[in-house]
Amino acid sequence: MKTLAKNPIYLRILAFVVLLAVVAAIFQSLTPAYLSSNNIHALLRHMAVQGLAALGLTFVIVVRQFDLSFPGVASLGAMTLGWLIASNFGVGAGIAGAVAVGLACGLVNGIAVSYLRLPDIVATIATGGLAIGLSYFYSNGTSISKNFFKSGILDLNDAKYFGLDAPVAILALTAAIAALILHGSRFGRAFYATGENRVSAVYSGIRVKAYVLAAFAICGALSCLAITLLVASSGAANVTAGSQLLMPAYAAVYLGAALFGAASVPATIAGTLLMSAMLNGFTLMAVPYFYSDAIVSTVLIVAIAAFDPKVSAALKRLRPARSPKALASTSLREVRS
Amino acid sequence: MSAVLSSTASRPPRGGFDARRFLVRYGLFFLLVALVVAFSWMRPSFASAANINDILRTASISAIMFLGLTWIIAAGEIDVSFMSVAALGTMIVAGLIQTGAGWPLASAVAVFFGLVFGCLNGLLVAVMRLPALVITIATGGLAGSIAAAIGKGTSIPFNSVGFVGIVLNANVDIVPVLAILVIALYGLALVLQDRTTFGHYIYAMEQNREAVVEAGVPASRLLFLLYGLSGVLSAVAGVFLAADLSSGQPYIGASYFIDGLTAVLLGGMALKMGKPNVIGTLVGVLLLASLLSGAALLGWTDSQRQIVRAALLITGVALVVWTRRKTRAQL
Repeated sequence: MKTLAKNPIYLRILAFVVLLAVVAAIFQSLTPAYLSSNNIHALLRHMAVQGLAALGLTFVIVVRQFDLSFPGVASLGAMTLGWLIASNFGVGAGIAGAVAVGLACGLVNGIAVSYLRLPDIVATIATGGLAIGLSYFYSNGTSISKNFFKSGILDLNDAKYFGLDAPVAILALTAAIAALILHGSRFGRAFYATGENRVSAVYSGIRVKAYVLAAFAICGALSCLAITLLVASSGAANVTAGSQLLMPAYAAVYLGAALFGAASVPATIAGTLLMSAMLNGFTLMAVPYFYSDAIVSTVLIVAIAAFDPKVSAALKRLRPARSPKALASTSLREVRS
Repeated sequence: MSAVLSSTASRPPRGGFDARRFLVRYGLFFLLVALVVAFSWMRPSFASAANINDILRTASISAIMFLGLTWIIAAGEIDVSFMSVAALGTMIVAGLIQTGAGWPLASAVAVFFGLVFGCLNGLLVAVMRLPALVITIATGGLAGSIAAAIGKGTSIPFNSVGFVGIVLNANVDIVPVLAILVIALYGLALVLQDRTTFGHYIYAMEQNREAVVEAGVPASRLLFLLYGLSGVLSAVAGVFLAADLSSGQPYIGASYFIDGLTAVLLGGMALKMGKPNVIGTLVGVLLLASLLSGAALLGWTDSQRQIVRAALLITGVALVVWTRRKTRAQL
């Protein structure tokens, strides 16, 4: 574990690039359309939706909590967006409404977990269930697509900002802000401190409850922003929209954390890119949609297992015994480090 | 290490009558009675023999599915793959029946795959000590995906319900035979839980796993056993579910997910003040089955019932946490 953690960062980046290249090479050899510019655009758009949800989750994982409510919250956000657009409130109000709903749900989660001290897993499962139940009230569970074409929500998927597809630009901007908060400010250190050791964070003068609350609020808001992009690309809002976010988001965060040693914004983006590269490849090869969960979950299990310090330590014990001299030198090295 | 409810030392018993403790400990029983009385008063057909028979049968299937989960949560870990394993069970049965296999073979294969997934969870969570929530999300996703793949994304209907159907539909007066079997199973589980060291170790693990290991208890093996049990029982419930619905349903898991956690955690309130236990789970399952049937008779929509259920879950958890609060660290 020590040696892994001490690896300089560029080795990890190199490992990531090699992994990505291997994935790309395999799919390119199987389906020649994989690296075409059209497909790369599609891949990055798909990544934008997953990436935004995973970015929000990153904050929650950094403070060592779990959020299982964001798929339900995202569904509620999607239906709010759909209802606002169908009622002629315009795209701006729709997106603002959806994100506000996400923020509100996130705040409810955060208050329940940090101030009321409810257990995170159960509390977020319950609030997620509540959110799904509420999302049925807009239209009794039917999908909403009225006024979508007229209102211009679909342009969100097709527009270009700074030469990038709009969803990709939104992801890049959000990731930059998130990275600034998490890695370039004292707020970020406080998030990490809260997660690493809550007691010592409290004694260092960090308001841990406020940071846990903030993490859940960010997660709720970003999951709704993610679903806005999904609604914009699919052209309809429905109550099951959020359910496809849960596993890819966890997979992206954990895969990234496994690759880079800890959950962080660049790690999550890298994890999302890898997941999207794989899923897009399988879609291109016409693998039916119901296998995608199996692929995501297998990758998730392998990522967690392969990079777990306890497992690599166990694997080391399985290696054949080395000569005493080599053993002595390694133990010396371990002592020095 | 507890994934669901953080461990707390129980408060020392005090003299006198503590109304709040009494309410938490026996509240669930009163709630069940109140709900049954209220539903029977509003819709007399709720108390008809056929409806009671129906409620007991649905509750029995859920009770089988949630027994393993009860102990896993009691041991301070979590399993969110149980419902997908049950869904996989229904699809394996349906898929094999469709290709002409008999019920004995089909159910045996389904239960075997339940065991495989239980052992996979056990290996990853108990032996390799990986994070339980994320791992079981992933194994649940895998099971669900295989279930969907068996039917190419849709359900598989079939006609014969075989010997499982005979067991399922047999009645003694108005009580289904399945309910009697479940009561026997839970009776056995109660003895295991409260009268054997096995049961004591489960609760001890939630309090302090390191201490349990230091005391010489093979905690990993115990937890492995619990995950294996959960997998097998979920698959068994899946087999009964397939016979009950005369089809394999790849997406049936979702409806059991919140139900399972609600039954176990609400049930945990009963008797043991927040520690999941088999009697509590049984009461919780009955409560949810009554709610399902009563809500259907009153004409509630699915989303209204979902909201009631989620509210029930969060209220129950809040009650548990707040009654145990005095001993919690104030962070």
